[in-house]
Amino acid sequence: MRPEFYKTLLSPFWLILLVLAVVLPPLLPSYYLHIIILTLVYVALASAWNIVGGMAGQISLAHSLFIGVGAMFSTALLLKLGINMWLGLVISAVISGVLGAIIAWIDFRFRLGHLSFVLITLAFAEMGAVVVEGWDFLGGASGLLLPRDTGNFLQFQFGGGIGAFWAMLVLAVAAILINVAILNAPLGYYLRTIRDNENAARAIGVNVLRYKIAAMVISAMLSSVIGTAYVRYLTFADPYLLISPVIVIEIVLFATVGGLGSAFGPALGAILLVPLGEILRGKLGGVLPGLHYFIYGVVVIAVILITPSGLLPLLEKWWARLRGTAPARK
Amino acid sequence: MTITRREFAIGASGVILGSVAAPFVRKAGAAGSTIRIGVVNSMSGGLAAYAQEGHPAFEYIIKKINDEGGIKSKGGAKIELIQADDTSQPARTATEARRLITEEKVQLLTGTILSAQMLALTPVLDELKTPTLSVWAGGSHSNYMFTLGYPYDRGYAQSMHDFVIFLRDAQKFNIKTAVMGYSNYEAGQQVNKFLTEKLKASGVQIIGEAPLDIRAQDQTSAMVRIRSLKPDVVVGLVTPRDGILLHQARYNLNYHGSIFCGGTGGYSDLSLWKDLGPEIGKAVLTNNLFGMTGFSPGAKIDSMQKIITELRDVAKLERIGQGAIQYAQAGRVLQQVLETSASLESDALLDAFKKVNIPFGDPNLYVAKPKGVQFAPDRLLTDGSAMFIQWTPDQQQQVVFPKEFAQTAPRPRA
Repeated sequence: MRPEFYKTLLSPFWLILLVLAVVLPPLLPSYYLHIIILTLVYVALASAWNIVGGMAGQISLAHSLFIGVGAMFSTALLLKLGINMWLGLVISAVISGVLGAIIAWIDFRFRLGHLSFVLITLAFAEMGAVVVEGWDFLGGASGLLLPRDTGNFLQFQFGGGIGAFWAMLVLAVAAILINVAILNAPLGYYLRTIRDNENAARAIGVNVLRYKIAAMVISAMLSSVIGTAYVRYLTFADPYLLISPVIVIEIVLFATVGGLGSAFGPALGAILLVPLGEILRGKLGGVLPGLHYFIYGVVVIAVILITPSGLLPLLEKWWARLRGTAPARK
Repeated sequence: MTITRREFAIGASGVILGSVAAPFVRKAGAAGSTIRIGVVNSMSGGLAAYAQEGHPAFEYIIKKINDEGGIKSKGGAKIELIQADDTSQPARTATEARRLITEEKVQLLTGTILSAQMLALTPVLDELKTPTLSVWAGGSHSNYMFTLGYPYDRGYAQSMHDFVIFLRDAQKFNIKTAVMGYSNYEAGQQVNKFLTEKLKASGVQIIGEAPLDIRAQDQTSAMVRIRSLKPDVVVGLVTPRDGILLHQARYNLNYHGSIFCGGTGGYSDLSLWKDLGPEIGKAVLTNNLFGMTGFSPGAKIDSMQKIITELRDVAKLERIGQGAIQYAQAGRVLQQVLETSASLESDALLDAFKKVNIPFGDPNLYVAKPKGVQFAPDRLLTDGSAMFIQWTPDQQQQVVFPKEFAQTAPRPRA
């Protein structure tokens, strides 16, 4: 592990975050707490996706499948077979990991180009959606309704509002830290080498299959765990949300706007765009339906035009200019 | 002409700031004694058709109530509607409901709220204890959620079952076998489950299923399957889009070997003729087809006829279908709840919901319910029944069932 990892780990940023996490939630109105929880969910999901999409450069749309498995399967295990949701979380994560490994193997075996990989992963996501909507065990198209969250931790309940905030915060921080750890470990170097030139990586002896599978499995399992926690918060396992391509498109958007490939970029994208989308819809949705989509689109286009590599590199440049130093090389 | 990034950024900022400020500017002028009702509708996205048709009728009824003196038992308090758009996504229904309750301080909630939205909304209502009236949900899982929608079991499934049995027993149609032809989505699956049980119990043999893929661009494969099974009747809940594709496929295959009956939009929506065209409409809609609906312009219900005329001539609404009538009814239910409630506290409003009673013959009963509008202990309508219609070649509907509203007998099998 590079020294930068430990430097990042010991940064005062985490201490400030911890203080805010303790002080803020009880002071916030329910609606704003909900927006923060939602933001943390997407911070975690975008960071999980970044391991494959940002670091390895593989634009995967199959992540809705992993999120869906985590959400729908663990819920079905609880409701239909009475299996504790903690165990359901582990089972779903393992299934997602296996599915991720299969997708990575297919990619390697058939040497898929970028576009083919996107289409293959989209096909997996769509197949997952069709299976869920047609299988009674997973609730079919109607979805599944979890029992009320009474705060029984042993039953994977966090007590709603503030408890859910803490659960999501832990997951979001964990997802970011995993990103930081990978970036500063050999795996991170290998993934970036594969992203920049897969043939060159193979030529210098990088085991492409192993590292592609590793990235996909970590990302898939993390997405699945987040999916389980998200559905516990929502209470309603809605297949049209949790296993729909829409959720993965949002994740890709957040990661792209924040800055692909960096540890904090996807998180930054989610932190800016999730509250913006929610508040715009809240303020404008009832007055002029659809206008919030338009404005949201304008903001995204503006960001991409102004800083095509994402917001984080731009902020780093400004910060470096402010301090009179050159931005750190990635 | 080229636009620089700076110019683009300035222009975009102007659009955003202006739009965000607009509601605050409008709100600054509002004042007075009001009862705030939150309206969560799907104004954009795939389900927008419900609210786009229904909401103008709802607004008209609320305006009428306000113009006639507001809620008299509350000192003539006026109703103020606070609207939100859930973009047809259930998770956002929950978010918007939370915002309306905690930020906008609404006393009641209403809106399209289909069944998936109802499920997503359940934990929020349980937590914030706000009485809610759904216009369309087929069930209720929260003590605070009442719905005007047809219950899956004693609404959709029972009505379709009763009509099939009416055709068989009273009209002497030869019905021994059935294929379940339904839109393969949440409501379609639920209704299918109950309907299958009921038909089997009444001696109808279910010889197969033909679920309609709601993403499909063509339903020929489903119709080929139906043709190969050749049942006496094809029955199920079908959405307008799937209905159009199914009827189109039936026309292309020139299949008339079964009776098609089902609901609601896919068989009885007034827009079917427009989307299919007169030639196809005449060939398939007027032959061996009966549609379930809660509203028909020809139904023998004075209060329904009156509201249709009013919405058309006074409110100047262009689309008056089942959605408009259902929303108008929601306006009257909310009026009665507010009038009879002891206070505007949650528990009092909840009690008032339980006592809602708009009997048959009441001028404020707009939907076709022989027993009127009351809520059962499960917070669904006590009378979940609906009508069945047949189409005429001049694109009109004739109510054929139940007998209370029927204009004519069902056309014999062609």
